[in-house]
Amino acid sequence: MKLTTEQFTALEQELDNIKQQVQTQLGDTDARYIRRVLLVQRLSALSGRILLVLGFITPWLWLAGVLLLALAKILDNMEIGHNVLHGQYDWMNDPVLHSKRYEWDIACDAGSWQRTHNFEHHTYTNIIGKDRDFGYGLLRLSNDFRWRLRNLWQGGTYLLLSMLFQWGVSYHELAAQRVFAGKKKADRHTQVSDSELKKAFFGKGARQLVKDYVFFPLIAGPMWLWVLCGNLLANLIRNLWTSTVIFCGHFTKEVYAFNATECEGESRGQWYYRQMLGSSNFTGPTWLHILTGHLSCQIEHHLFPDIPARHYPAMAKQVQAIAAKYAIPYNTGSFVRQYSTVFLRIMRYSLPGGDKAVKAL
Amino acid sequence: MLGNQSSLTLYFLPLLQRLASGFLPGQYRASLLCRQWQTADMLQLSFNVSGRWPGFVPGQHVLLTLQHNGRYISRPFSICSPLSLWQSQQHIQLCCKINRAGEFTPLLNQLKNGAVVNISKAQGDFYWQQPATAAVFVAAGSGITPVAAMLLSQRHWLAPVSLFYRCRGSENAALLSELTQLAARQPLFTLTLSDSRTEPAETLQQQLMTNSSKQFYLCGPAGFMQQIRTALTNSGVSAAQIRQEQFGLAIAAPAEHMAAGLQLSASFIRAGISTQVTLNPQQSLLQNAEQHGLAPRFGCRMGVCFQCVCDKVSGQVRDIRSGALSGHGAEQIQLCVSQPVTELVIKL
Repeated sequence: MKLTTEQFTALEQELDNIKQQVQTQLGDTDARYIRRVLLVQRLSALSGRILLVLGFITPWLWLAGVLLLALAKILDNMEIGHNVLHGQYDWMNDPVLHSKRYEWDIACDAGSWQRTHNFEHHTYTNIIGKDRDFGYGLLRLSNDFRWRLRNLWQGGTYLLLSMLFQWGVSYHELAAQRVFAGKKKADRHTQVSDSELKKAFFGKGARQLVKDYVFFPLIAGPMWLWVLCGNLLANLIRNLWTSTVIFCGHFTKEVYAFNATECEGESRGQWYYRQMLGSSNFTGPTWLHILTGHLSCQIEHHLFPDIPARHYPAMAKQVQAIAAKYAIPYNTGSFVRQYSTVFLRIMRYSLPGGDKAVKAL
Repeated sequence: MLGNQSSLTLYFLPLLQRLASGFLPGQYRASLLCRQWQTADMLQLSFNVSGRWPGFVPGQHVLLTLQHNGRYISRPFSICSPLSLWQSQQHIQLCCKINRAGEFTPLLNQLKNGAVVNISKAQGDFYWQQPATAAVFVAAGSGITPVAAMLLSQRHWLAPVSLFYRCRGSENAALLSELTQLAARQPLFTLTLSDSRTEPAETLQQQLMTNSSKQFYLCGPAGFMQQIRTALTNSGVSAAQIRQEQFGLAIAAPAEHMAAGLQLSASFIRAGISTQVTLNPQQSLLQNAEQHGLAPRFGCRMGVCFQCVCDKVSGQVRDIRSGALSGHGAEQIQLCVSQPVTELVIKL
């Protein structure tokens, strides 16, 4: 199944062409689209926060407020924040929608996210030992990892991680650098000192906590408890949703993982190939794609992380055709089907044994 | 803090832009009053500027920002109108050379009357330092714009002032009628036209030599100014007496640089400290910066992770991946996939 050098070069050429076609069309339509999403995000955040206070009229208004605030946080994190921080809209030269300036409504500091996600995860996708997103150092997702006793209750760990997902994401880099606990790893290089990491982690985290659990409850006066609980619930909904979407991107049944040695000195074509095998898509209506920040097209996102995400569904058709041509597995299915395989994987590998995700290609 | 953006204005920007189209924080709105061709390629634009705009010193320029194809683009233009026009009517005029093959300037000719654009505060340090002493101005082509603003704004003439205006014939001399009128009513001001098609630059240089002035102001294309500057310093004028503003960058294709083995240089500004380095045009800016002991933040070194994005103040770069050339103005670039094409100023 492994491709020849000529095939890798041809694959690289074909995928580069798809990217270039979209790049040349970027313009007004993309700018209008993302500005409209930003406007909807702002309006739902503002109306959500107001409705939470109006909960004294009827609790239904409070509930609508919770849902609108959760929607605002999901749009901010997924379709706007994640994509803007990838530099998808840097070409617009916009004062808000720029990878260097954007800060999002989540506990994780944008700079830390760019290091762990944009760099580590997107460069070394699914390389065992290099991409810490494969199991987040908490879950055993394949037999490439030795079984430990704590894996026995990883179903519970997974549920907790999902509920507190923003904090998991925010702590991710500090865990990797062993800032608070554990022995430093000799092979990890970083340009950011531990004290800078701590400052960003506590600074951003505290700002988020003060905003949602001190400031807004305080200005709500007698409705403070309603507002506090509403914010807590909105954050919980966002955490569960983002975690679910992200788990569907790399931990489905047929996903592949890799050894560091086989990826050394790889060509761009080989990098593309690895991105296709290491990611999985799910299908659904347009609104679902938008709520996932188009991470429902995880394969296309991994091939073209800096292309505005609204182009992924159209690009997916072309990518799928190319995958078929080179007989590269293209992992897609309905949301329910993909998620159930993720859940089964977490459960299966809580017990010893099983298959390796690093497979002979 | 509340909106996770650096200011609440930025958080509310999508809403503010609905209310006032084209609103940009830190910029001032200017609405177009009229367009008028000064010469075949010099377009004069008159704007009514928002009252919040802090004003200008004649000789300064503004950055004009337009939105085109979803993208904000900015270019600097010198103000060519006198200060009195701004003070009395809040109007300013820009005289812009339209490059029909360019990305930005043709858009200026498509602006409708009443269209709103954004301008920055006036910036630049090219202005008349000592209006009470004798001075010589040398302007070439579109370099006349800041010079015209300085001369037309002058109210009390105390010492002789000469302007040498080099252009391709009087039909290509923008703002000529205003300057001729000034020369007619002001005996201390002399205007000398120098036709670049018939007169060699040496004639102009000789005319300058005979002048005993203590101040020289030069504005024009890079090559022309270098020539005049060298001639002046050779005849004993000290560098402190010469002030200049460069118009139109000396652009050379990267291939030419490589063939000629020419060296480019760049200033990297980090936390306010500028470091001048010699660039290797065949390497990325990231590699260049690192070789000179600067350590810009980086990640994937392949254009994916956007950690090395930084502000380019001026100069042109080429995208190593696509070969696409950037603009010359201020914009953001990824160091790891950018190759120098011209001299650069970069904020790390």
